[in-house]
Amino acid sequence: MWRLAVKNAVAHRSRLTLTWLAVALGVAFVAGSLVLTDTSSRLLDAQFRTAAAGVDLTVRAAAAFGSAMGVEVERDPLPAHLAERVAGTPGVGQARAVASGPGQLQVRGEPVRPNGPTIVGTWAEAPFTAYELRTGRAPDGGDEVVLDAATAAAHDIAIGDTVTVSATVSRRLEVVGLTGVGEDDGLSDSAVVMVDLGTAQALLDLGTGVTSVDVIAAPDVAVAELRSDLAQALGQEYAVTSGQDAAEASAEAAKESISYLRVVLLALAAAGLLVGAFLIANTFGIVLSQRSRELALLRAAGATGRQVFASVLAEALLIGITGAAGGTAAGVGAAYGLRGLAQRTGLALPDGPLTVTSRTVLVALVAGALVTLLAALGPARRAARVAPVEAMRLAEPARPRPRRRRLITGWVLLALGVAQLGAAAYLRDIAGVALGAVLLFLGLVALGPVLAPRLANAVGRPLDGLGVPGRLARESTVRNPRRTAATAMALALGLALISFVSVLGGSVKAISAGQQEALTADLLIQSAGDEMLGGLSPEVAARVAELPEVGATSSIRYGHWLDGGMTSALTAVDPATLPQVADVEMTAGDLGDLEEGGAVLAEDIAIERGLRVGDQLAMTLPRHGEQQVRIVGVMADESAQALSSGYILSLTTYAQHFNEDVDASVFVALADGVDAEAGRTALETAVSDFPNAEVLDQTHAVAARAATVDQALGLITLLLGFAVVIALLGITNTLALSIVERTREIGLLRAVGMTRRQLRSMIRAEAVLVAVVAVVAGVAVGLGLAAATLVGLSKDELLPIRIPVGQLLAVVGIAVLAGLAAGLLPARRAARLDVLTAIATR
Amino acid sequence: MTTVAPPASTSLAVAAQARDVVKTYGQGEAAVRALDGADVAIDSGRLTAIMGPSGSGKSTLVHALAGLDTIDSGRVLIGDTELTALSERERTLLRRERLGFVFQAFNLIPSLTAAENIALPLTLAGKRPDRAWLAELVEMLGLGNRLDHRPAELSGGQQQRVAVGRALIARPDLVFADEPTGNLDSRHGAALLGFLRDATRTLGHTIVMVTHDPVAASYADRVVFLADGRIVDELSAPTPETVLARMARLDAPASAIGA
Repeated sequence: MWRLAVKNAVAHRSRLTLTWLAVALGVAFVAGSLVLTDTSSRLLDAQFRTAAAGVDLTVRAAAAFGSAMGVEVERDPLPAHLAERVAGTPGVGQARAVASGPGQLQVRGEPVRPNGPTIVGTWAEAPFTAYELRTGRAPDGGDEVVLDAATAAAHDIAIGDTVTVSATVSRRLEVVGLTGVGEDDGLSDSAVVMVDLGTAQALLDLGTGVTSVDVIAAPDVAVAELRSDLAQALGQEYAVTSGQDAAEASAEAAKESISYLRVVLLALAAAGLLVGAFLIANTFGIVLSQRSRELALLRAAGATGRQVFASVLAEALLIGITGAAGGTAAGVGAAYGLRGLAQRTGLALPDGPLTVTSRTVLVALVAGALVTLLAALGPARRAARVAPVEAMRLAEPARPRPRRRRLITGWVLLALGVAQLGAAAYLRDIAGVALGAVLLFLGLVALGPVLAPRLANAVGRPLDGLGVPGRLARESTVRNPRRTAATAMALALGLALISFVSVLGGSVKAISAGQQEALTADLLIQSAGDEMLGGLSPEVAARVAELPEVGATSSIRYGHWLDGGMTSALTAVDPATLPQVADVEMTAGDLGDLEEGGAVLAEDIAIERGLRVGDQLAMTLPRHGEQQVRIVGVMADESAQALSSGYILSLTTYAQHFNEDVDASVFVALADGVDAEAGRTALETAVSDFPNAEVLDQTHAVAARAATVDQALGLITLLLGFAVVIALLGITNTLALSIVERTREIGLLRAVGMTRRQLRSMIRAEAVLVAVVAVVAGVAVGLGLAAATLVGLSKDELLPIRIPVGQLLAVVGIAVLAGLAAGLLPARRAARLDVLTAIATR
Repeated sequence: MTTVAPPASTSLAVAAQARDVVKTYGQGEAAVRALDGADVAIDSGRLTAIMGPSGSGKSTLVHALAGLDTIDSGRVLIGDTELTALSERERTLLRRERLGFVFQAFNLIPSLTAAENIALPLTLAGKRPDRAWLAELVEMLGLGNRLDHRPAELSGGQQQRVAVGRALIARPDLVFADEPTGNLDSRHGAALLGFLRDATRTLGHTIVMVTHDPVAASYADRVVFLADGRIVDELSAPTPETVLARMARLDAPASAIGA
């Protein structure tokens, strides 16, 4: 049977090519996602390891948690004398104080904006670091700097040039050397700025403090022992980690952001495979029904139903494995493309050679083979049921009617799905919405053969205007319910996801626009760097406050805290100045009370947690660990949304518990009578030496947020586009196969006078009709799910549901045109059929 | 559009002719000369049967006459239209406007009703059938109450009658029937043949029928015998017996059964 399967697969290779391609494309997506995320993880590991090479132990201030949401927590500065204390501890060979932190670099007035961070660090010689001078010399004194050679090359910086480096403080420094790590000329996606210790302390405004002390053990001293000795000697206040551990922690923090990407990519890859599964099932169904006489002959010759079943599955396995192998190979190439796409949308992914692990290959192969096998299961079962007597029958076998049980199951699932969606949305239960979506999907799959032809019949009515070809196109779409359903379903799935994402995106933009309404500030300053916690030097707010054009300013900061085990966000505000730049509506307590400590909660959170003014909330904050924080007020939800979190502290409280010294936003109200444009120019001039400070008015701030949403959604939509391409292959394939099946019908039509042009338009009309069915079903389902999701996510007040009509129309237009394109090849093939051969085909 | 010759039931005008037609399939050693100087004229207004053993070139000759196939040399004329000079599209339009076809099997489009199948050549040309003519045809074919049925719901005989209706609806100059009774039992076959003969005698149509069945051939006004790609004999006013006798004389395998 295996030999028969191989022979069959080879004999029908032209019919199976597109199936193979569908498997390969789906698997390529899976493999590409895995390769990309593996590669990024490995490169990040390698980077942080090399950068920390040589250091045995690192002493830092203790913190309640090391990193949250991919951002490393800033720790307390260490006193200057600690380095000496460490050096004096027995077993320590060498110790060195280090000051480092995030900063910005400006060249000739232009900001340098790598995808990742700009790191301001302390220059060291080996053995403390893996950085080596490429040219020039080490920085010495308050006006010298060494840059990584890659950044220098990218921005045309030479030794002797002057650059502006800003962290908390901004300084102009002369480039005296260029450096690299190991074989690389820098860290990918980052800019490295090395100065001497004093300069680093000044830039980071640490005074005499340092951020860590690097330790190299004395010869013959075991690092593990030294670590515990040192920890004991220094006490609880300090954390001693091995250099590699510290590097790993940094790498972990960086990798956390990539793990989201992996989830998104794999989810999209799964969608692609699912679409491919429809196509595979369809192809096998058609090819086998075309071969039913051959199968019956096999049965008549003594093959058991089980053997037929096995031979079909073996054929599927063959296609699955070879397709998956091709897909895996293509996926490695796809990883490059994906990385380029992701980087273009602002994700910081390191560049470097790709990592292909055996796990990637295994997962991709198994996924491809499994999907193909499962998709072929139904057709194989039908094939095994072919009766031997079919071999003697001249007529075409009767088309299977959808079975009663399947119909009932389908309607029940559909009804349950719709009811579940409605109920879950009403109850604001987002998990319930997901369950409803799954039920709805299963119901639609079961009912596809009933619904798709009816839909095709209805939406295909205008085709009758094309005359007989249009009429026949509609008829043949309706005539093959199962086939039409599977082909349209694959495309509909992709389109449903795209319209779902676009409605969600439109609504998210509307929400962020609505949040701004609570703000009365004329202008706001934000970091252009998109750092998660913001990245504005406090100096920016200080300078702006002094301007005569400015009436009031208020800064906000963001931080992370641990809520039980979960990372959560909080916002710190200045209770005195915030009301001058925003309409803050309190439903209980007083914002001013924040100054004395405590927290204000958003109303929905207060209700959810059952907290009232005067109650205590346990918050784990980075510097001092778990604190009992008193609730001093409750804020209306809209006000809290404008501040981006439901937990509000005062800046004073924030400063006690966080070392981060960067503002997320500075809200500015202009003085009376100051023209917005003039005010803006004044602000821009005042902060011009902070390259990341961006002065925005409300409209621009909304637009900037919308652009971020658009970028993320753009990437997702683009990737969903691949699923749609697979579905379009399905249309081409199904049509091409059905033309083989309809050879005689086509021959007859041609003999009685159908022109080639009419024939082509008939086939193209079929393709377009399937696409339109998919568009109608897909967009309707997508919109419904998006609405249910948004309602399910709503609290008391409904989230706005914005349907981006223009965008959806574009999707619809493209899908229909693509359907037309999918029909071109089969149409050409059909028109080329020789009338005589077509008639003669028995 | 080329001129349409009026159906001439009384005169013996020529509806179609093949002149010294050569058609070879395959190349080199495997080459088969399907038509080797075939020369025949089809009289207008008559039922002509083409007979011959398997491989004698019957089907090839009909396909060449109908413009379904190209020829290597010689001439084929429908009326006075030279087929060899026409493009593929012109030949398609000629088939649609001036020729009708009845095949042995698979004559109808499964998704169209009987009425729609009959009207197909006209609707493909964007025309409507002449109501009176359609009614007359349906009446004669005895399809009155089957018009809204799809082919799958019709018997084999009914299907073939629908096919004949389709072949005649555009009042073609010439109808080609390729083993039209091949799939029918003798009773239905006789009815269909009777109808074809009536179509020539009372309606003045010209029909060319390929068959290997002497009984079917006996319905014709004239039988043309083909062997090895050439016209070798012909017979007017045939009976099954005379046809059988001529067949037996043909220099070909006697067991000329099956198409």
